[in-house]
Amino acid sequence: MKIIVLRNNLKNALDAASRTVEENLNLPILKNILIKADQSKITVSSTNLEAAITKVVPGKITEQGEATIPFGLLNSLINNLQSERIDLEEKKCNLLLKTDNYEAIIQGMSPSDFPIIPKIAPEAGSFEISTSVLKEGINKIINACQISDLRPEISGILFNFESNVFKLVATDSFRLAEKSIPETQFKNNLSKSKKTIIPLKTIQEIVRILNDEESVKVFIDDSQALFKTETLEVITRLIDGQFPDYGPIIPKSLETEIVVEKQELVNAMKLAGSFTARSGEVVIKVGDDKKIVEVYSADSGLGENKYLISAKISGDPVKASFNWKYLLDGLKNIYTDTVLFGLQGDSRPAILKAPNDTSYFYILMPIKN
Amino acid sequence: MNKEELWKNVLSELEIQISKPNFLTWLKNSRMNEYENGKATVVLPNHFAKEWVETKYHKLILGVLRSKDGSIKNITYSVDSVSFKRPAEPVQAAPQTKQLVFSELKIDPETGLNPKYNLKSFVVGSSNELAYAASLAVIEEIGKKYNPLFIYGGTGLGKTHLIQAIGNEIKNNYKNINVKYVSSEKFTNDVIWAIRNKRIEDVKEAYRNVDVLIIDDIQFIGGKEKTEEEFFHTFNALYEANKQIIISSDRPPRAIPILEERLRSRFEGGMIADISFPDYETRMAIIKVKLQERNEIFDDPIVSIVAKKIQRNIRELEGILNKLIFYRNQHQDGFSAEQVESIVNDILTQSAVNVSPTQVIKAVSTFYEISPNDLIGRGRKKEIVEPRQVAIYLLREILNMSYPYIAEKMGKRDHTTAIYAYEKINLSLSKDQGLNQKISLIKDLINKPQNL
Repeated sequence: MKIIVLRNNLKNALDAASRTVEENLNLPILKNILIKADQSKITVSSTNLEAAITKVVPGKITEQGEATIPFGLLNSLINNLQSERIDLEEKKCNLLLKTDNYEAIIQGMSPSDFPIIPKIAPEAGSFEISTSVLKEGINKIINACQISDLRPEISGILFNFESNVFKLVATDSFRLAEKSIPETQFKNNLSKSKKTIIPLKTIQEIVRILNDEESVKVFIDDSQALFKTETLEVITRLIDGQFPDYGPIIPKSLETEIVVEKQELVNAMKLAGSFTARSGEVVIKVGDDKKIVEVYSADSGLGENKYLISAKISGDPVKASFNWKYLLDGLKNIYTDTVLFGLQGDSRPAILKAPNDTSYFYILMPIKN
Repeated sequence: MNKEELWKNVLSELEIQISKPNFLTWLKNSRMNEYENGKATVVLPNHFAKEWVETKYHKLILGVLRSKDGSIKNITYSVDSVSFKRPAEPVQAAPQTKQLVFSELKIDPETGLNPKYNLKSFVVGSSNELAYAASLAVIEEIGKKYNPLFIYGGTGLGKTHLIQAIGNEIKNNYKNINVKYVSSEKFTNDVIWAIRNKRIEDVKEAYRNVDVLIIDDIQFIGGKEKTEEEFFHTFNALYEANKQIIISSDRPPRAIPILEERLRSRFEGGMIADISFPDYETRMAIIKVKLQERNEIFDDPIVSIVAKKIQRNIRELEGILNKLIFYRNQHQDGFSAEQVESIVNDILTQSAVNVSPTQVIKAVSTFYEISPNDLIGRGRKKEIVEPRQVAIYLLREILNMSYPYIAEKMGKRDHTTAIYAYEKINLSLSKDQGLNQKISLIKDLINKPQNL
């Protein structure tokens, strides 16, 4: 293999590939990347055996071939080099790196030892969406997800493809967030409605490495998903299992509806949060006077505090406790000036959403008194 | 040599020929699935392993396999990550805070069953032994003996518990048996969704690919024509394929209003078993089981008070036990029989605070389709006597009114008439299932005044 690339292009590819480079005692080659030059393009790949990333590097190919070398070493060389133009050449499994005034030989391993990156089943249908829409959708729900060893089926994000709507859902069993993307914003070529669970870790990486200007195609078969743009391919296993049927959790009728300035509620959470030790418990109270929400918290070692917010309130008086971090997580995902906070007493799910917006909601369970 | 042993032998030879890291990464978690007619299938835990083994070790594996068994011609590879997953730990770590969780998420999304229902915690007494025995028979011989199994009984007597327990039991005892539990509301919603999204085929497929279909509270599909029709076809498809169908309802098929005749006759074609009100001893046993689930113990006299007071609804009983446990934890010194009695009385009368005697009378007259004036009038016709006694019974039972006051309200009668009527109904209730049905329907009317 013999190629010439620009430093910045190589650096971009290495940044993307770094996401699935892994230290593995059984298989040391996983800390390597594979550089490959075929007839038409140069690619850099890495894998942790759960997902694999392949990124295209623009450059000139003089001789086809491949090489695998430790990611860390190459990355620090590229970060510290000043020259724009870099020549790379494979010699007996080692990689020869050359610029105008610098030369290095990096010890590599045999490319045939590098794991073979699996292919998606050819009949897998695809789904196309702009990366910015996908990323925004994921960012709105991802903080409701947590890795759980006990319940692998919720350790990922649900991608629910229906013919006229695409839903992203995440839950950690204390809260649940759902974002719906209308059919005008995607192209669906999947043969039928499909529900798949993508591991949280892969989703986090995808959000980091996808570029805003591109659109991404998502291919899905029974056990793998492939996210593909012009220059990037991320293939990942899917989580086996079925996402819980969360329909029954969504509040159908609210007992108390509070419409309040979002920023006020955010401030109230941060203030009240200072007076909670480990439990994070903050009390939300609506009395008979339906103009004011009281946010109260107390800790025997710290003291207590009370914050009053004027709000539009309808329904019954209520007093319920919540974990302020969970509430704040939900608030962060809403970008309107006012939010609707709907409650159903002190032990049933409450809901946060933008008023008059059905495309996003965040449900959370109270803390029991 | 069976396939497990054979594969073990193959692996031990491969281990010598392949470097240790490679062996550990790619082959350690493999197994052989099919092995017959010269074909073998090797199952690997992920796609990376499949690609690798297929490309790099295929010849090697084939060679070793053939040296053990010359008849093998071909090996295929497949991926199965589920069976390599380590089994989930059964006990969940106790939550550190009192943060509540979405309890609905514990429901198995594949079957719709809630794992908390099992046969072990189902208390069997004379009131439900037929239903229980039929359930056991169904578990033993799915789809053969009693099909459909139709279980009916009043609210809160354990229908849902029993039919979900059948589902869980079947799921745990048999592999590859598809169980699906739905409430008739969910079924209706699915049908509506399908009609709206033009996906009726999806719903058909989802319901007809099961081996055991459990439908709860079937009475609610009565009158919903499209849902009834869809259910009818599903029912037939499953029935003809000898798939088990289990149905619950709050009344027998012939008493479900506006249910199409063709469905009714099908429901009656299998086994119909009822669950009636548990007797005193069964209630004692139920309370003890419930306490055990909560890791609590009450003294027998206290259990006995609760059992005597709560006769008609086990779900109500759970609420009362929770309250009693809460009360006891608040007052460290425990409680006396009198305290228990007053707590239980408090709760029982609580639900009736918003009900007026007029509402009760109105509900009874609506149910029997007679005028309230006849009900409190002087007539002694047979059609009026039973409703009148029922009204008196309910006034006493729900509102806890005194006999003289009831007699006054019911057309200025003598209070002994009220006592006689109450006791007569109370006695017949333990024998007459039909009367039980009527009373619970009237109670529904009282609690949902918009139906009046």
